[in-house]
Parts: sequence; C-alpha cells; structure tokens
Amino acid sequence: MSRVIGIDLGTTNSCVAILENGQPAVIPNSGGYKTTPSMFAITQDGKRLVGHLAKRQAVTNSKATVHGAKRLIGRRFDSPEVEHSRELCPYDIVEGPNEDARIEIGGKNFTCPEISAFILREMRRVAEEYLGEPVQEAVITVPAYFNDAQRQCTKDAGKIAGLEVLRIINEPTAAAMAYGFNRTGEEKIAIYDLGGGTFDISILEMSDGVIEVLATAGNTFLGGEDFDRRIVSHLVDAFREAEGIDLTQDAMALQRLKDAAEKAKCDLSQRETVEINLPFIASDDEGPRHLSMEVPRETLERLVDDIVRGTLKTVDQCLQDANVGVGDIDQVILVGGQSRMPLVQQAVADHFGKRPHKGVNPDEVVAIGAAIQGEALVSEDDNMLLLDVTPLSLGIATFGGHFAKLIERNTTVPVCKSHIFTTTRDNQSAVKIRVLQGEGDIAQDNDLLGEFVLGGIRPARKGEPEIDVSFDIDANGIVSVAARDTATGKEQSITVNATGTLSDDEIQNIIEEQELYEVALKE
Amino acid sequence: MPVEFSERHARKVRLADDCDPTTLRLSPTEGYLLSRIDGQTTWGELRQMGALPPDAVDACIEDWAKEGVVVIDGTGGMERSKAAEAPKRVRSNGAIGDLPSLDEGLDLSLEIQEELLAFAGLLDKPYHEVLGVSKDADAREIKKAYFGLSKRFHPDRYFRRNTGAFEGLIETCFKRLLEAYELLSDPNTRAEVQRTEAAAPASAPSEAVGKPKKPLTSIEARKRLRQRVGQLSGHKRVVQDRKRKAKSFFEAGMTAFREERWLEASGSVRLAIAFDPDNQAYRESFADVQRKAHEERSKVLLKQANGAYEMRDLKDAYKLFNDAVHFRPFDAELAHRTANLAFSVENDLKRAKELAQQAVELEPDVGEYRRTLAQIFEEAGMDANARREYEAALRIDPKDKEAKAGLRKL
Repeated sequence: MSRVIGIDLGTTNSCVAILENGQPAVIPNSGGYKTTPSMFAITQDGKRLVGHLAKRQAVTNSKATVHGAKRLIGRRFDSPEVEHSRELCPYDIVEGPNEDARIEIGGKNFTCPEISAFILREMRRVAEEYLGEPVQEAVITVPAYFNDAQRQCTKDAGKIAGLEVLRIINEPTAAAMAYGFNRTGEEKIAIYDLGGGTFDISILEMSDGVIEVLATAGNTFLGGEDFDRRIVSHLVDAFREAEGIDLTQDAMALQRLKDAAEKAKCDLSQRETVEINLPFIASDDEGPRHLSMEVPRETLERLVDDIVRGTLKTVDQCLQDANVGVGDIDQVILVGGQSRMPLVQQAVADHFGKRPHKGVNPDEVVAIGAAIQGEALVSEDDNMLLLDVTPLSLGIATFGGHFAKLIERNTTVPVCKSHIFTTTRDNQSAVKIRVLQGEGDIAQDNDLLGEFVLGGIRPARKGEPEIDVSFDIDANGIVSVAARDTATGKEQSITVNATGTLSDDEIQNIIEEQELYEVALKE
Repeated sequence: MPVEFSERHARKVRLADDCDPTTLRLSPTEGYLLSRIDGQTTWGELRQMGALPPDAVDACIEDWAKEGVVVIDGTGGMERSKAAEAPKRVRSNGAIGDLPSLDEGLDLSLEIQEELLAFAGLLDKPYHEVLGVSKDADAREIKKAYFGLSKRFHPDRYFRRNTGAFEGLIETCFKRLLEAYELLSDPNTRAEVQRTEAAAPASAPSEAVGKPKKPLTSIEARKRLRQRVGQLSGHKRVVQDRKRKAKSFFEAGMTAFREERWLEASGSVRLAIAFDPDNQAYRESFADVQRKAHEERSKVLLKQANGAYEMRDLKDAYKLFNDAVHFRPFDAELAHRTANLAFSVENDLKRAKELAQQAVELEPDVGEYRRTLAQIFEEAGMDANARREYEAALRIDPKDKEAKAGLRKL
C-alpha cells in the first residue's frame, strides 16, 4: 500500500511530510530545502516552472509568475479579496465562466485549482523522489476560515495533481496534532497562527491522543503583509519629508519598497537594526534620488504594536468561546512565519503568562500534523484521533429573513441536530426549507447551499403544525437535511454537495492536459 | 481430465449480510467450506478446495443460497440492494433501525462488532449510561469517558474499512455519544436532561431536549433491539458459547489430522480460530496442520496439472502448476517446469523469470535451470543477465550445447 503524505499548501511556501517508522519527517526537495515556494511560472519559451525555479526568475518575469494563488482559490471574481489581489498582483486575474477568478499567464487561462495543482504535484514529486515509490494519497491543510467552496477547490487541485485527498484539515488543528503526537496526559493548548495574510487562533484540548477543537477565531485581513505595509508607509512618509517626493504615485518604486520592507521585517527578527538602501528610487528636475534609511527594531515594533495588540483581543474572544480561562492554557504554540517576530512572541508570552512552546518549527509543524492525520486514518492502531469540526455554521432561513443556526461552527462531526419549526400563516400547506451556511444573522449574508419544499401540511392555524428539521453531517463532511411533518410523517430531504468552481468534466480535461504536458516534458 | 464447469461456477459467493454463522449447524467439512466463502472466491474455486467432493460443494451452496445463508453474485440483486440500504435504516437522527448481524467477512473483528452492538444497546438509555459514568459524574469524568469512547467509536477509526452493515451503526453510535457529551457537559442542558429523564425514565434520549416528538423508532425495531440487548446482557454466555464451538471444531480438526485427512483438519482448525481468536494453542497447531494441508493440496493440484498436461491442455496445466508452486515453494523442479510453461504457453516473461529465479535459488548447481533463466532474460532483452546465466550454465556443464549456442547468439 502506498504511503499517505501530509501537505501544507501555503500562500507563500508549501511543505510536505510523512510518517517514517512511526516518526514524522519533513521531506526536503531536491535543493535540500524543507519548504518550496508556492509559485508557478511560464517562461518566455513556454517552459513551466514550479517552486524555487519559478521564484528565481520571478523578478525578470513577474507578469508570468504566479504567487499567492491560495488567496484566490474558491473565491468569486467580484469578491473584495480578489479585487485586492488584482491591485497587488503583477499577473492578470480574469473572470472565469463560473464567476470564478482565473489567472492568465503565458497566453493561457488557468483556474486557481489548476495552479495549486502544479504546486501539489511538485510536493508529490518531492515525496516520490524521496520515498522511491509512487504516492497517491494525501491529507492537505487549509486555513480554519476556508469555506466549503475553498475546501472543495483545494480538493479538486489535489485530484488534478493525481492525489486522492483523504481529508482536508485545518492548519491550526494540524499543528495541534503535531504537538500532541506521542504525548500523553491532558492538556489545553492554544495555537497562535500569524501567517502572511491571515491570523488564526484556536483553542484545543487533548488527552492521550484524542484532540478536540474547542474554539477558533481569526481575522482574514490581518497578517504579515500588514506589517510590510506599515513599514512601506513609514518609508514613504520619511522620504516625502526629506525629499518632497510622493513615492506612492510610482508603481515600480512601490514594488521595490514592498520587497525591501518585507526583507527588513524578516531581518529585524534576528537583528536590532537594518539599513534599507534603494538607489535611484525616484528622480526629479534635480536628478536621481536615493533612499537610504536605518530602521531599528524599536521603530518596527512601534509601527505594528496596535496590530499585535489587536490579535490579543481576538485571542480573548476565542478563549471566551472555548469557555476557558487564560490561566487554563497549558501550552501555547506559534505557527506562521510572522510569529517569528520577537515582539509577537513577547506579546503572546505576556498575555498567556508563559513562554510559547519551543519544540516545533512554525514552517513545518502543519505539514507534519497533516501527515499524522493521514497515518491515523489509514493505520490500524488508535494512537491519534482528531475530533474534527465543521468550519461554518449551518441552518435554515426563517420568517423575516433571519438565519436559524442548527449546527454551530466548530461542532464536532459526524453530528446530527434537529429542531421543530412551524408555519407562519393560517392553513399554510407547504414550507420552503432554504439551507444556509455562514456566520451572519441575516439570511442573505450567508451562502445558500440548497433548498426544497415540504408540502401536504394539513390545514391548521399558524404556529400549530410541527415541522421537524434535522441536519446531518457524516464523517466525510457530507451534509444532508430532512424536514418531517410530525403530524403526517411526510418527509422531504436533500443532500448538499459541496461545489467548487470546476465541474468533474473540467477536472478530467485538466488532468489529461497536464498529463500530456508531463509527457512532453520528459521528451 | 474432463472438467465440469458451468456458468454459475464463475460466480463469486459471499455470506449474506444478515447471516450469523454461529447459529448454523454444520459438519466440520461444511464449516470449512463456509469459512472459505469470503466474497472473493468463486463457486468454481470452492469446488476445487478439496474438502468436499465438487458435487457436495454444489449441494451445500445451493442449499445455503436457498436458506439465505450465502448470496451468489449476480443472483442476489434484491438482497444486495437491501444490504446496501442497511446503513440508511440506522436512521441518522439517532433512531436505531435493524441492527446488523455479526459478519466474519468484514474488516472488523468480531470483538469490535460485538462491542458496537453492545454499545448500540445503550443508545436508548439515559445519557450518563451512554457515557458509562455515574449520574453525578463531574465535567472531567464526562470528558474522559467521551474521549475514551470516541477512540473506539469514531468513524475515522474505521476509515475505508469494509464495515458493511455496521457503517451506519458506527456513525449512529458516535453521534449519540457526542450528543450525550454535549448535553451533559453544559450545566444548563444537563439540568434539563436530568429533569426530563427523572420524569420519564423510559423515554428515548432525543426527547429529553426540545419540544415533544413522537417516538423515533418503530415498535418492531425496538423489539429487535430488546432481543439483541437481551442476548448481549448475556455477553459472557455468548463468549462461552463461541469457545465451546471453537473447541469442538478444534477437536474434530485434530481427529482429522491424526487420520491424515489434512484438508479437513486445516479447515476445522481455521474455523476454531475464527470462533476463538485468542486461543494460542489453536494458532500453534494451525501451522503444522496447514503445512500438511498444503502438501495434500499441492498433491491434488499436481495430479490435476499432470492430467491436463497429458491431455495437452497446456493453459490449464500451467494454471494448476502455478497454484501448486504456491504450496510447494521448496520444489525447484516444479518451479522450473512452471517457468517453462509460463514462458512457452503464456509468454508471461515476468512470472517466468520469477519462477526460474526461484528454481535457481533453490538449486544453484543445476545447469538446466540456469539455461532456462538465461533464455527468459534473453527474450526479455536483458542481455547482460542472460549472458551471466549462460556462462553459469557452462561452468556447471561445459558441454551444454544450447548454452553455447545462446552465448554465441548474444
């Protein structure tokens, strides 16, 4: 039987891990790196590049180098996130036939799952080279806030990459699995995940290998990039003051500032001060101007202090959701590149009153957790069990456009919940059940998953009939909804299928096309 | 050798989903036959097992099919679709429909199946009994019980295993477990649960919260559940019953062994192990019995193979020889002969190479085996390997003309 790999499909970097002789191991790529840039490019002469090869040529070929496709996957073209990416990304983002966002590079139109599939295929190849055998099965991680469509698209990407995706699990949950592996005793842990674009906090409880998610909270618009932006505007302001020139008007200068800010931010995690040098950043009548500036760590910390404080507010909210006091947390684990920042580490340590756990590598822990879950699923022994949860609330639309939640988010699955509803008019003979997913209180703020009508209700005064609506999520996350008239026993039901942006036929076509390309590459 | 083979013999035979083999009265040989029915083996293959004459096998299977003990692939359409629906009958909202029967053909040990059925018997009980804690258990005890039981009943534990009719039951068990945990771990709902349970101790747990509902399970399903629970409350008795059965199979097996009826002995001991998997003595004896049975089986196969070979029915002969190799892994001559057939009859170079290599490994000093292996390598285009083997053959017998010719050609 082939082995199950765990893949952390990150926004900027991806990582693959496996369980080897019962021990988790991260698999290095052929260059010896344990993470691979989540980048895909098409060169001038039509060559397709992935990972480090794509990154190396990104500066000279930015228009045909895709990074951050994860921000677009499973999103509608008109969503604010896509609009945001369109402003920032040098490559073209266009609208697909299913109102999805697609990427146009090298004269070809790619869907987001297709781009992610290139990365996943590369991770699969890295694992296969290391193991010397074919790999067909994987567990892939996604951010906790990913909705059904985003998860399904990630699954589709796996399929295109020739992988059977056994499960999609949340990144913080995976981190918890990696921590809980081979650990006995009871512990409550907090996973503080500050990545490039998002912030997530999860509270979990574990006991002898069983892991339960108590609560998650997060901010999808807060991450390392906000830190970069703060540095950029600091540089822009200082330059305007010194030279009287507004750099925000020049796209090229802005991109250089952005790159420099990111690098300075990373360097400041190790060093007390860095110097930013950008020669010929602008010019005016008096000739070229150069930017040269010293940025001490203190300055950065002052610039982003409110962002870091903001994350702690979310932490408190999450602790409250979990019904856990800050003192009850036994262990804090930091995940995501931005958590390397000393200020973040200090703030978290102060808040929880204990130093974050040192034993895990924030870049690798998620992939390791995914590999552990893969092994836990297929192996016969029962060392680890993840009590996985549903990421978003489920319910139905009720009278007046409200959203009645039957299954709250973070509910352990498989689960079944029911509730009695009734009619709103006298002699009403039918009710329409509209199945919604989301966190909004108003029905229309949530995603409509499906709808059906239960008819044949006996004439009665409003409020008298009893309609028993039950929601069921099975172990694979498939949702089915049934409505039953308790008086007549009449029942109607639907099974809600998660849909990505690709149909099965499209996926098949892409697989065939990529395979053709694989063959072409080998020639 | 005339082989009677009709269309039905190509069909696979499997145990019916609701068949409980422990309730059948079988002779050891019949038991052996039943133990070989795994859903993969065809009727025709069962006829050739050798424990019973083919006609007797036919009679057994015909009878069992009539009695609903086994299902013959392609004829049990109705029953199959019923079986496929079985998980759905275990209603997701916690109502327990028909409980599945023990089934040795599943990827679940009988212990786990019994454990699941025993747990299913509790689902109707008050929540604290579902969790196996006392009425006044504290939050920690409740959580501990929930985590511990989750490890056994969470569907992920049985991921991708063939759990047959138990699939739905596993999910129902976990859902009810989760419900019990959620309601009892929240002080508000717990108080309500306790009030309701005190008022109506016999009511179904789902009625404990929310508005009144009509009972979730049909009278019929409940009756069956009661019966099942009744049986399981005598769990010990069931185990003793099984052990007694196992012992009688084992004794029959040992008698057969002493009387040199090896196949029957092997079948009976295998059955004894199935009924009492923890008995080490049975397992230890099984190795000896099985070796003898393999010898016996290969003897039969070789006889049939030679018969087919004489009738020039080479394809059948190859198949039979190939099977015989499996039971006589130490027989170089047989491996070599079968390699030649794989090569000349089926042109299956991969298998031919395996077999020839097996022969060479067993008897490295037989030039003929080396030469055969060399010819197969040559045919497969692996010239370097072919040359090596030809040279080895010539070292053993410098006058080997065929080897010389082969080497020259290379």
